[in-house]
Amino acid sequence: MSSVKRTVKKRLIVLLAGFFAVYFALVGRLVFIQIINSSEYRQKAMEQWTKDTVVKSRRGIIYDRNGKELAISATAYEVSVSPANVKDPEAVAQALSEVLGLDEQAVLEKVKTKKASVTIMKNVDSEKVKLLREKELKGLSFADGSKRFYPQANFAAFVLGFTNIDNEGLNGAELTYNKYLTGYPGRIINMYDAHGKELPGSDTKYYEPKDGLNLVLTVDEVIQHFAEKHVENAWVENKAKSVTAIVMDPNNGDILAMASKPDYDNNDYKKAPEQYLGNWDSMSSKERQDVLNSIWRNPAVNDTYEPGSTFKIITSAVGIEEGVVKPEDKFYCAGSVMIGGKRLKCWRSHNPHGSQTFVEGVMSSCNPVFIAVGEKLGAEKFYKYIRAFGFGEKTNIMLPGEAPGIVRGVGAVGPVELATTSFGQGISVTPIQLITAVAAIANGGKLMEPRIAKKLIDNEGNTVYEFEPRMVRQVISKETSDTMRSILESVVAFGTGNKAYIPGYKIAGKTGTAQKVENKVYAAGKYISSFLGFAPANDPKVIVLVVIDEPGGAIYYGGQIAAPVVGNIMSDTLRYLDIKPQYTEEEAKLMQRPAVVVPEIRNMSLKDAIIKIHEAGLKYSVEGEVDYTNSSLVLDQIPKSGSNVNEGTTVILAVKPVEQ
Amino acid sequence: MSGRKANNVDFTLLITVLTLLAIGVAMVFSASSISSFIRDNDKYQYLKSQGAFAIIGIFAMWFFSRFSYKKLGNLALPLVIISMILLVLVFVPGIGVGSHGAYRWIKIGPQRIQPSEFAKFALVVFMAKGLSNKKEKVRSFTQGVLPYIILMGIYCVLIILEPNKSMAIIFAAITFTLLFAAGAKMSHLLVWLTPIIPAGIFILIKDKYSLLRITSYMDPWSDHLGSGYQAIQSLLALGSGGIFGLGLGNSRQKFFYIPEPQNDFIFAIIGEELGFIGTTTIIVLFMLLIWRGLRISLSCPDMFGSLLATGIVCMVAIQVALNIAVATVSIPTTGISLPFISSGGSSLLFMMINMGVLLNISKNIKANGS
Repeated sequence: MSSVKRTVKKRLIVLLAGFFAVYFALVGRLVFIQIINSSEYRQKAMEQWTKDTVVKSRRGIIYDRNGKELAISATAYEVSVSPANVKDPEAVAQALSEVLGLDEQAVLEKVKTKKASVTIMKNVDSEKVKLLREKELKGLSFADGSKRFYPQANFAAFVLGFTNIDNEGLNGAELTYNKYLTGYPGRIINMYDAHGKELPGSDTKYYEPKDGLNLVLTVDEVIQHFAEKHVENAWVENKAKSVTAIVMDPNNGDILAMASKPDYDNNDYKKAPEQYLGNWDSMSSKERQDVLNSIWRNPAVNDTYEPGSTFKIITSAVGIEEGVVKPEDKFYCAGSVMIGGKRLKCWRSHNPHGSQTFVEGVMSSCNPVFIAVGEKLGAEKFYKYIRAFGFGEKTNIMLPGEAPGIVRGVGAVGPVELATTSFGQGISVTPIQLITAVAAIANGGKLMEPRIAKKLIDNEGNTVYEFEPRMVRQVISKETSDTMRSILESVVAFGTGNKAYIPGYKIAGKTGTAQKVENKVYAAGKYISSFLGFAPANDPKVIVLVVIDEPGGAIYYGGQIAAPVVGNIMSDTLRYLDIKPQYTEEEAKLMQRPAVVVPEIRNMSLKDAIIKIHEAGLKYSVEGEVDYTNSSLVLDQIPKSGSNVNEGTTVILAVKPVEQ
Repeated sequence: MSGRKANNVDFTLLITVLTLLAIGVAMVFSASSISSFIRDNDKYQYLKSQGAFAIIGIFAMWFFSRFSYKKLGNLALPLVIISMILLVLVFVPGIGVGSHGAYRWIKIGPQRIQPSEFAKFALVVFMAKGLSNKKEKVRSFTQGVLPYIILMGIYCVLIILEPNKSMAIIFAAITFTLLFAAGAKMSHLLVWLTPIIPAGIFILIKDKYSLLRITSYMDPWSDHLGSGYQAIQSLLALGSGGIFGLGLGNSRQKFFYIPEPQNDFIFAIIGEELGFIGTTTIIVLFMLLIWRGLRISLSCPDMFGSLLATGIVCMVAIQVALNIAVATVSIPTTGISLPFISSGGSSLLFMMINMGVLLNISKNIKANGS
């Protein structure tokens, strides 16, 4: 054998060994990949094959306390495109833009993206989906979804709130009860190829969504209607900035109605408010958002104000509870009082009330009476009660953004502050705080947490959870409460609150007129008029607060403009609640008087107006300081001309002296 | 002629080749059915063409197992010349066929063939013939080594121009392995490494594409949607197959996660569907083929037959090693098909011709073996 041949043989064996070594090394690699690290790779592969699709749960319905639907979830669709399955992108884009009213070029871009699925539009109604389905285009999909719908747009907008496009609560009960309403989304797990198409025969895993629970509010749709109607009328008639009403059951804190005007349409909550329509397009998005944020504010809960005379209810209750004053105690009003070197005037300083009992002082809302009561109480005791009534802290009503109000620390209360607080100045409260506190005075002394939701129910109507009424604390005794009810009843029967009077019902209440505080000073000509009343006075079932912010008319006293609104809401509500009127003999007689129409007397001279009123068989009363010797001009009248009233009803006139 | 045992071909080798061929056809069908169904609405498209080439291949193998390899030796030079012409024709418009920016095929009737597959065969025949005639001169640098390096250089330049760098690497590997087997001096072979290293560095710096492939090889996850994509998808396929695999036809990675799963990455699909059992079976079958092939080389009485068998075995062995090394991300991604298994008519046809030649050589070995 030649040496070459020997070398070749040796080298062939080396080659064989070399190849085998490489092949064994590759088997080693495979052991590493397919056995040792197999699960890690399988996991990663699984992640790339499978895709989760969220199946939305149906958002719970919001009912009123009697089962009327206030917020429902209507069927809507999410239109999306799987670009991999689209045969003709141009045709698809054209159809989508045509039916959904979108920009064709923008849609075409989406259709051409390299993604498994692209959402084109959410909350598309079924009719448009039907149109698209009829076109039989490949690559379109329509996912079932739901769209929040409020059958009575604007209705109870501040209580209900609204949801965003993803059905998440953004305001009102929709926000505060969001976690119960949303439920749990389900999932579909599917396998897809690298182009985003579902793998044939892959076993789809479906986890059913859990629907949201349905929320039953304490709000009564009918009472809410009354409140909305009368609030709107008051808003229009008084040309006010806003009008707010709260109707509550004083015994358990249930909110029966909560209404404010202006409001917004919760079906289309981003719509430009009417007063901004003209320049909406020229506003920046931030300006628009500021406007929207302001109209979404719930004045009943989010805004504070100086309560003025309505706060005298608190001062009275504390005085009686502490025994510093009794109903028959005598007081004297000289028109003003000197406190700490400062002259504090009574609202009727031009015509001082003179000698009067405490009850008469409440009826006439006489400031010096309350200054005296506050003085007797002393700051420490008085402020302890103010806080016990819940002022200066949130009531914990389940509505977003509640303001706590401002109550001075006792250390900062001097004689002047003590005096002003006693008639409701220098303290800032929210409407919900005030009505909750007065409800405690009306219901026997129990401060209740205001409640907007009664319970959560499932789709079969079974109660899942009950929100029990919660008593925060006993603030005053039952005896004090009884006394206060009768005092407040006389305010309506004979005092400043007589415009809330409803024949046949015992109504208790208190007026309030406060100058608005702007930048820490009282703003001239800007008032907040309010009235807080409850009925029946001996066994309160309903308590109503009406706050009129910046009434634009010449008449701005709470007793004149807010009291009738409370009276109207109360009258409708009491009849609805089937609380029978019990007429006194006198009332029965009055009821039989014929109805007359109130004549138009605005812009007449006072003399002519009085003649006209007498001719109509009505009485009159003039507001403000009137110089009868001069001829004065009638600026405004209540009731308005054209109203039907009983013969002998008093027409209130606002007058202005005519310049000579 | 009567009673001569030498008339029998190596039966183990034959069975091994037929087994690989069968696995190949089945796996090409499994791997390609989805994409060909989506693209051409015919999931049997690749099965049909691969099956047809398998049958043609079996006939070709049968023919060459009966065609005396010694006559091939006389055809060595014409084969080289024809292969060079074909490699040039690739660039001639009307004859050459381009795909994905590369000109690797020429059109003959309805069929396109890959001249480089033919050239590979020609190179092996020419080198076996030449080196067997050289005898002791194989130890000479100028007469033994240099001429083949030059020949290889010409082939590589033509093939790199297509461009098909992977194929050029195979040509170089076959050339060096054959020179090694033929008994060339180690120093004469190793000296070629000195220009290769700077040239390699130069190419890497100049050619960002190559560099990218190297970096994505070192850490494929760093760019898993870009250059590391194929490497990752191959690992995921192999790994999710585990020991027993997802079952024949059940690959998920063939749903476009691995591009052209019937081609260079078919080994990954085999790993996914048939598991570690399947992949090692394939490797063991190739080891069997290499062993039987080199056994033929060792026992072949004449030098030409011995070197021809060695060249054929090396060609298969190198391609298999490179293909599986790529699929297992042991080396950077490069496009080399898996012999007998990856789809592709020219490759399969010439592999079968090579096997026919190998079987023919096996007939001439001594009855008692080596």
